[in-house]
Amino acid sequence: MITSGDAQPRIEAYLGRLQQRLRGMNDDDVREIVEEMRSHLTDKAAAGGELTAAGIDAAIAALGTPEELASQYVTDDLLARAEVSRSPLRILESLFRWASLSVAGFFVLMSTLLGYFLGTTLALSALLKTIHPHTAGLWVIPDGAGDYDLSLRLGFGSVPVGGRELLGWWIVPAGLFVGCGLVVLTTRFALWSVRQYRKSRALPQG
Amino acid sequence: MKARAASGQEAGDKWEVQLRKGCLELAILAALWDGKLYGLEILQRLERDSDLVISEGTVYPLLSRLKVLGLVRSEWVESDAGHPRKYYALTPAGRQRGREMAAMWTRFSSSMDRLLAPLAKGK
Repeated sequence: MITSGDAQPRIEAYLGRLQQRLRGMNDDDVREIVEEMRSHLTDKAAAGGELTAAGIDAAIAALGTPEELASQYVTDDLLARAEVSRSPLRILESLFRWASLSVAGFFVLMSTLLGYFLGTTLALSALLKTIHPHTAGLWVIPDGAGDYDLSLRLGFGSVPVGGRELLGWWIVPAGLFVGCGLVVLTTRFALWSVRQYRKSRALPQG
Repeated sequence: MKARAASGQEAGDKWEVQLRKGCLELAILAALWDGKLYGLEILQRLERDSDLVISEGTVYPLLSRLKVLGLVRSEWVESDAGHPRKYYALTPAGRQRGREMAAMWTRFSSSMDRLLAPLAKGK
């Protein structure tokens, strides 16, 4: 039984921070993790018989900081779920969580967002070409300052002034192929980055 | 984070860590072979029978990953200590996976032993 008046607040402070870092994960999962860590810390700290402040500090130190522990859970969770489903939405959801926990996660999230955005825009403009044959596709448009902008257009709105379309109907197969390919490659990149991160975190502690 | 980045790590140490880490999943499945255990018991068993545990903060997330993969299941059990403990047990899929991994391990390690025999003799 926990009796030491000083012990419980330390554990609760750690768990409170952990819970905050896990926010965004499924509520039931977060509750389980926090409960399990409470149980672990209490058992571990009392392993010597008496529950002491030093024992609690050692038990907490052995688990790592709440940020590190949460990062491990979030990335492990992502990898496990990716083995079941490679849905970009699922992956992005986990990456958002990871990005709030580490700099590496932030950069991976940004690159992944960019990849998915380009991929979907390409595929969309290919699909919309069949509905907006005169305006959708890949265009070169003068920017007024003597230069030209490359523009991927979905075809809403009018024909751009002075613009020239590049691919014509080729945008349909090319856009679909490259767009879908980009989405698949981006997913692979995201999972690869997470695995690299996991490997780098496998260094010995303390 | 900074303290643990261990920039001066020798390549050999890193290799050893990767090796241990790679074996951790099989070691957990093996620890659960005879029946259910809770997290701290798994850690203690791994510490007693192996030097695989790199950090406690690695084992718990790994357990929850094994659960998502359907290799272990978990249940909360009230304890004498006055708080519930989360016990893990192998699922049939986990048992199957453990057997496969153990067979792979045996094949792998015996061929490595043969290959490494001259290096050991050279000492």
